[in-house]
Amino acid sequence: MQRLSAVFMLGFIVFVLLHFVADPPHSYEAWRGWVGNDGVSVAAILFVVALVTHAWVGLRDVTLDYVAPLAARIATLFLIATTLLALGAWAVRVFLLARG
Amino acid sequence: MKFSIYRFNPEQDRKPYMQDFDEPLNDGDRMLLDVILRIKEQDDSLTIRKSCREGVCGSDAININGRNGLACITRVWDLKEPVVLRPLPSFPVIRDLVVDMSRFFTQYHSIKPYLINDEPPPEKERLQSPEQRDKLNGLYECILCGCCTSQCPSSWWNPEKFVGPAGLLQAERFIVDSRDRATHERLDDLNDVYRLFRCRSIMNCTEVCPKGLAPSRAIESIRLTMLKEGM
Amino acid sequence: MSRSNMPRPVFFNLTQIQMPVGALTSITHRVTGVVLAVGLPFGFYALHLSLASVQSYERLTRMANTGLFKAALILFTWALSHHLLAGVRHLLMDIGVGSHLAAARRSAWSVNVGAFLIALLATRVVL
Repeated sequence: MQRLSAVFMLGFIVFVLLHFVADPPHSYEAWRGWVGNDGVSVAAILFVVALVTHAWVGLRDVTLDYVAPLAARIATLFLIATTLLALGAWAVRVFLLARG
Repeated sequence: MKFSIYRFNPEQDRKPYMQDFDEPLNDGDRMLLDVILRIKEQDDSLTIRKSCREGVCGSDAININGRNGLACITRVWDLKEPVVLRPLPSFPVIRDLVVDMSRFFTQYHSIKPYLINDEPPPEKERLQSPEQRDKLNGLYECILCGCCTSQCPSSWWNPEKFVGPAGLLQAERFIVDSRDRATHERLDDLNDVYRLFRCRSIMNCTEVCPKGLAPSRAIESIRLTMLKEGM
Repeated sequence: MSRSNMPRPVFFNLTQIQMPVGALTSITHRVTGVVLAVGLPFGFYALHLSLASVQSYERLTRMANTGLFKAALILFTWALSHHLLAGVRHLLMDIGVGSHLAAARRSAWSVNVGAFLIALLATRVVL
């Protein structure tokens, strides 16, 4: 899962970078217009899903390695999971609103 | 040559300490173990495990200038002074350079390091083609010295749950053995967030193996096999 | 008095244990991952500002010219480059490319240097 999300994000990042180098947005309207269009916004939302999944696997691994006491471990994992979900939901909302 | 050696005697010392020695090298000296044994003539209480003195028993695995290795096949002239000798990292120290290897062996036993085949035994041997036998190369030569596992950060953080490079190399040795019939069970046992998947391909194991083996590649191979079996 | 029931000591001084180049790449991979994760809320906030309204977009543009923002951007670029390059190295090793020790050491070096170079480039672009 970590690998798949990584590959997807790699592709997306390369795509975005190329776009910025070739045609950087000069104004709010241009920026929002590009992000809001169907293709980009859907890809961006998928990117957020991939990002949250990838970050979860990574942070879970770090927690399993370094946080030993069971209670602290469960609490930390729970905290990370909820924070990631909240951040993800916020980002998805931002992209959905940009389409408006 | 100047040495700084880790000392700890549980009956006398409250804490370990480093003791300095200066032992002149003779022209005929080749391996570190020879010099350590001469140092013992200066101080007979210095304790180290040793046996074959030729790199096949794995007894004298110690940490030499920060890197694990076998004292009997480490060339003493190549070492930077002062030569710092310590026991294998993260294993409980019984005395001086001798460590408790029980956790290491428990992990080894947990992967069932024996052939599992309940079919009726053939008249003579269970046959293997040369190609099938070749698959065991790079896996059967492990002498269980412990250099890899005691240099593995994942083993440091999760010694009870992560099998460790040596154990996983041996698991692979049985997974690829054409005479073994428990492949699926072996893979199932390792398919767990802890047992195999704590490995992050840091590759310290392959760096220090005194026999030139590659546990990191064995682990990679197990991962690919699991993927192919659709796990 | 026998001290044999005291717990046995352990040699575990990380500064005295040699870390080969692959281990350095690996621990930095983990550290950059955590840095990126911690930076996520800030990144998402910047994204939000850039899209919410013209005023917030302008506010973001003003913020982007401050030294603190630029420093954070360079750090973020380095973290992302290292994490990304180390990740690609991982993926390749997973399929068996470059998992021999010599190749693995070379690729670890390239990752460390490559990420640093990209960070330098970012510094020149940003400042």
